[in-house]
Amino acid sequence: MKKIYITAFVLSTFFFTGCADDYLDVQQTETVSTKDIELYNNNTGAETFVTSIYNKFLNWDMTSFGWIGLSSITSDDADKGSSPGDTGTDKDVLDALTYNASNPSCESTFIANYDGINRCNQALNILPKLDKADAALRNRLAGEAKFLRAFMYFTLVKCYGGVPIVDHLPVPALEADRVMQLTRKTSAEVYAFIEADLNDAIAALPEKTAYSANEKSRVSKGAAYALLAKVSLYQKKWQQVIDNCNKVTGYSLVSDYASMYKATGKFDSESIFEIYAQGAVPAKGIEGYSNTQGARGTGGWGWGFNTPSQSLVNAYETGDVRKAATIIFRGQTLYDGRVVPNTVENERYNYKAYSSAYTDAWETDVDIKYLRYAEVILMKAEASNELGQTSAAIPLLNQIRNRAGLGNTGASSQADVRTAIWKERRVEMAFEHDRFFDLVRTGQAKAAFAIDGKTFTEGKNELFPIPSSFLSQAGGLSSQNPGY
Amino acid sequence: MKNFIFSFLALLLLPAYMSGQVQAIKGKVVDSSGMGIPGAVISAANSRTSADADFDGNFTINAKAGETLKVSMLGFDAVSVAATSTPMTITLKEAGDTALKEVVVIGYGTRKKVDNTTAISSIKAEEITKTKVLNASQAIQGKAAGVQVISSDLPGSTPSVVIRGLGTALGGRNPLYIVDGMQTENINNINANDITSYEILKDASALAIYGTRAANGVIIITTKKGTGDKVSVEIESFGGVRQPLKKVKMAGSNNYSYYSNAALQSTTFSQDQPVNTDWFDEITRTGSYTQNNISVSGATESVKYFFSLGNYSEKAVLNGLDYGRTTFRNNNEYKISKKLTLSQNFSITSANSTPKPLSAFTNAYKQSPIVPVYFPDGKYGVSRVGDNGFASETGSSFNNVGNPVAQLNFYDEQQKSVTLQGGLKLDYEILKGLKFTSQFNGEYYTWKQYNYDDTKNIWLAANPNKVDSDYAKEFPNSNINLLTQGRSDYFNWNLSNYLTYNKVFNEIHDVEVTGGIETSVKGPRETLTIARKNVNANSNYWSLNDPVANHGVEYAPTVTSFYDVVYNETKLASYFGRFQYKLMDRYLITGTVRRDGSSNFGKDYRWGTFPAFGLGWIITKESFMADVKAINLLKLRGGWGRLGNQNVPLNDQSYTSGGNAYLGGSLLYNGTTISSQIDPSLSWEITEESSVGLDFELLNNRLKGTFDVYDKKTSNVILNTKPYFTSGLTLPSPAHVGEVSNRGYEISLRWDDKIGENVRYWVGGNFSNNKNELTGLKNVILTDLIGGGLGNGQNTKLLNNTTIGQPLGSFYIYDYAGFDATNGKMLYYNAAGDKVTQDALDANKDRKYVGSSLPKTNYGVTLGITYKNFDFSVDGYGTGGAKVYNGKKAQRFSGENIENSLATDFWTPNNLTASNPAPFNQVPVASTYYLESGDFFRINNITLGYKLPIQENNFISACRVYVNAINPFITQKFSGFSPELNGDGNPYGSQGIELDAYPTMRSFVIGANLKF
Repeated sequence: MKKIYITAFVLSTFFFTGCADDYLDVQQTETVSTKDIELYNNNTGAETFVTSIYNKFLNWDMTSFGWIGLSSITSDDADKGSSPGDTGTDKDVLDALTYNASNPSCESTFIANYDGINRCNQALNILPKLDKADAALRNRLAGEAKFLRAFMYFTLVKCYGGVPIVDHLPVPALEADRVMQLTRKTSAEVYAFIEADLNDAIAALPEKTAYSANEKSRVSKGAAYALLAKVSLYQKKWQQVIDNCNKVTGYSLVSDYASMYKATGKFDSESIFEIYAQGAVPAKGIEGYSNTQGARGTGGWGWGFNTPSQSLVNAYETGDVRKAATIIFRGQTLYDGRVVPNTVENERYNYKAYSSAYTDAWETDVDIKYLRYAEVILMKAEASNELGQTSAAIPLLNQIRNRAGLGNTGASSQADVRTAIWKERRVEMAFEHDRFFDLVRTGQAKAAFAIDGKTFTEGKNELFPIPSSFLSQAGGLSSQNPGY
Repeated sequence: MKNFIFSFLALLLLPAYMSGQVQAIKGKVVDSSGMGIPGAVISAANSRTSADADFDGNFTINAKAGETLKVSMLGFDAVSVAATSTPMTITLKEAGDTALKEVVVIGYGTRKKVDNTTAISSIKAEEITKTKVLNASQAIQGKAAGVQVISSDLPGSTPSVVIRGLGTALGGRNPLYIVDGMQTENINNINANDITSYEILKDASALAIYGTRAANGVIIITTKKGTGDKVSVEIESFGGVRQPLKKVKMAGSNNYSYYSNAALQSTTFSQDQPVNTDWFDEITRTGSYTQNNISVSGATESVKYFFSLGNYSEKAVLNGLDYGRTTFRNNNEYKISKKLTLSQNFSITSANSTPKPLSAFTNAYKQSPIVPVYFPDGKYGVSRVGDNGFASETGSSFNNVGNPVAQLNFYDEQQKSVTLQGGLKLDYEILKGLKFTSQFNGEYYTWKQYNYDDTKNIWLAANPNKVDSDYAKEFPNSNINLLTQGRSDYFNWNLSNYLTYNKVFNEIHDVEVTGGIETSVKGPRETLTIARKNVNANSNYWSLNDPVANHGVEYAPTVTSFYDVVYNETKLASYFGRFQYKLMDRYLITGTVRRDGSSNFGKDYRWGTFPAFGLGWIITKESFMADVKAINLLKLRGGWGRLGNQNVPLNDQSYTSGGNAYLGGSLLYNGTTISSQIDPSLSWEITEESSVGLDFELLNNRLKGTFDVYDKKTSNVILNTKPYFTSGLTLPSPAHVGEVSNRGYEISLRWDDKIGENVRYWVGGNFSNNKNELTGLKNVILTDLIGGGLGNGQNTKLLNNTTIGQPLGSFYIYDYAGFDATNGKMLYYNAAGDKVTQDALDANKDRKYVGSSLPKTNYGVTLGITYKNFDFSVDGYGTGGAKVYNGKKAQRFSGENIENSLATDFWTPNNLTASNPAPFNQVPVASTYYLESGDFFRINNITLGYKLPIQENNFISACRVYVNAINPFITQKFSGFSPELNGDGNPYGSQGIELDAYPTMRSFVIGANLKF
């Protein structure tokens, strides 16, 4: 009897050990486990991973207040604006070029772009595994992800110089991946990485005409060529600029400059890469973009930051239609009949961030046109001029001037045409997040800021500081930019 | 899974095939309460034989019927009885109140207290039922050294129990409760009258047998069994009234107006108000509660039975808040054969409540006294002021506080729950000294709730200047009401099988070995919630989906939302073993080990081993102590152990949805990504503790005491870290990065004595001190753990890299520097030590750690006296070193009421030296201005009882009547209602902050016990 009992006990122990590990495998029910990839193994599922990258461009930290501060308020085109006492966290020091390594806008822009890059890497990681989704679709989606990753690295390299290149999903405990995430690469390496991504994107992406009406903001082959041209421009690879500009086909200048910044001007013939926003409920717009830049004070509708500077006003030639399309002047009547009363706090506001239908909404229908055909023309003009083909450059420049209601340029020497193109870039693309980087790229920064009354320290202000919080994560693997 | 049930059934059935008779005298040695006395020695002088009683007090001895058996046991008076051939029951009388006879429950077994090497506080039934409260854990407040209970008098609330300090920040903080072998997290379903013992395992050496669930301590609760040889019926009935122990005096109408006018710098309010509403009085009533219990118990040779039925019902002080609980319990023990005992326990608890929002207390604090409860036309009063400076229906709004009376009247919620708990336990004595135990327990819980929101009428009550039809005009698409209903249930179970072997070798080596296996399963808890709008106002028709009966409203379109959440199931598979050795009755060694596998963790990280050992030396048993008559017991014990806390945040990696976007058209595309990182090595938190203790009894056992010191370190506390910025991951990653230390000591002393024949008295007390500290962090950047929100944008607590060296639950706020005498503005010290106004403060630099909401010291006192049939006792409890934040005061927005002390003494140009700053409308930053000492000492309980002089053989064999005062007195430094603020029980939540808090109650109770 005893033996039977003991046997039973031992047996039950045996059962226990035999299946204990399986027994402890419990299925997750609270959230969708990432092991359960089948849920996304179809065309719609595959698309969701790329949609979330486009979504990133609508985020506050990616495209709104911090980015406005970094890319626009810093420049000679814009002042901080708003009430004198409202710093907008750090917009006063951005305006004065006196930021330091713990500047919140520098930090949030850095983090936001890497957030976007993670989304690209997640998509690129999972797309090959979704074998039940259409292969051609997956190929195109991967191309979109690579374009968008390139765009974000381009933002990073313009802002911070060489940054860590995270080209795949890091494995948490892997030392090599830890080093990858924490070690800055050189600018040249980052540019090479961007070009490689763009070449992959060019191979995978269709022309813009291939997309349906609901997918017009997806990136196309033309967008990839245009971005590659711009990336080449920053590296002064002039012939490569021209070659790529020539491949941007199927686009043309619109006749009415101002129309591009109205709701009716979305995805016009000039638009190459556009961040699309919808104000109608359920709204998905760039969070706070219109609101932070809207007129402030009684009769206004926003916080009043990023106001056009006197220096910009002065930059427009008489008769330039772009001035009225870019700047709201206090007291004027807007195109939709709205009167901006004299009670608003600042003299001028950014017209390109104005939404007629959703004026004071947090998410409005205001798009950002990051790449336009006009810029392609100007890039080609600049590259041609640099290669000594000044006579080829002048008609290109004149196309832009004529559309703006101006006569042909008077410049004819290579040096004068160069200056004329740079100036044309300023007025053509004011408040399109290009000016600060263009000043640095062309070496005009110190002089331009002096005119605007600000001190640009050469050898320092070309780059923003790497966030000190990142450097403390990096330990000794990365170091700060000069001067910070 | 099935294997367990089969093996269990097999084990259950096996004994039926086993039989066998031994010719011997059988019997059982029990104490006066009927509990078996293990280890009692039975000797038959004539037959020259002797035997020991087993764990349950049963013995078998070869002897002749009729011969004299001598039964003796340490701590009991020896008796001599004649042997009978039928099973005998021998009752031993306690030799006096001494630990020598006491038995403690140690988890998977019991041990004589004197032989135990670990720190266990045992609280007996009468201590638990003495304080008339709902939850047994609240009743033990102040009665066990090193056990801190933070409770709330909110009916149905669960007290926080912290044993020897807090070792986790994100993980579970509750101790593990084991009720008759069933693991559970909450004992609100246990009627305190059914409890026979409540044991708190405190040190790692005792706790390691519970492995990965033990780091927060274990509380083992044993419920009653039938005793004696005849049917015993006991009835207890009491009723009481309750009132807040302390109130805060608010400003009356005229003082309010004076202050508010000064704040607004206008004469908005008349200083001759016709209305003076005391909102606290308006929302409260005198609470009342009653409890009735009846139990029937008894025992025969083969069956012990215990039935009990109890009902608790409370009308709480907050208007409309009612709570009721009915419990039924049946515990039986069947002696199937000489070697086989089957115990069964079963309980049903049904609880009903009508909760009311505690924010009503905050609103009553804040609402202006100039607002009437009702306007003369019967509409609810609102905070609008007319041109005449009086409250008016149409005036301009002067604060955003609702009418607290309306709030309570409109709030319509009901909750019902039923808990079934029960188990079977089989004890089989395989051979002498070797026992097999198999135990299965289960708990089924079901809960349902509804909340009816009378949206339109609430709006109308808040806007007396509007009429019914305005609602549709202003909110054309809004619902007129909203009904939310919830259902939830789960089934948890537990199965353990273990062997216990006990033998004394050569009379000096006393060995006991226990080994077994166990599985514990927390079944998936499923919660269904459905919300419907525009239902029939009559609750009888809520279930109808017939459009006609439902006033033409189709059912489906009224559903606004529904959820079904299934929480992850968790399973535990375990092996455990324990070795206890006693040499020469004085040297004690205990070793335990438990190996746990938990489904909470990844495959390679789910198994852990938790060892412990303990040593003891009963010094008084040494020969050199034999002559020291003053010392009756002196025992030194100590140990070390390792424990786990598996109730930690899990790193379930999941898809992140919500990254939706339009892609150039009107179609919204769904977006998905992954924004969290898996740390595959995430596992339980590990606590290691070393402790030493001394137990003593002096002067004829009249002075008893213990002293304990411990050093406890949790070496891998899980905290949320920031992923590398370049990883792009936005969600915090939990990782094992922190180190928390708890060090402390505990003393308890008690003096019991008699004066003459009629007077017995005792005086006792305990004191414990714990130093809690976050001692270190690995080289990571933490995501800020921000807590203690005040609902006005201000937070009061923080845990991040700067917290090293601070206790958990620390307040992190600005340092108030008095006010500027020139203008009355509040000033604060900035990091440079300058006094600045709040606009000039830097949130990143100027805040400081200023103490924790967790007390450093706890103490309890007890004294009592009995004289003839009277008994009288007093218990007190206090804490020291905690800080509390006066959240309701700190939350003030413009136009809200203030305390009278402030309204009558604030800065004005004519009163530059007032105690309080000038009135202001700005939301004040969280600062030490609102932080107060949480120290208090409270008389918990005063009891006076009288036993009616009744003969024991009457129909009613005993009757005691008593009066009881719970929390009659308190001394506190805190200016608010109550310094004991459990809040949500989270030191990084609302614990220690008086905001929406239920006040501590003072209760007076009268009751009687009857025994038939």
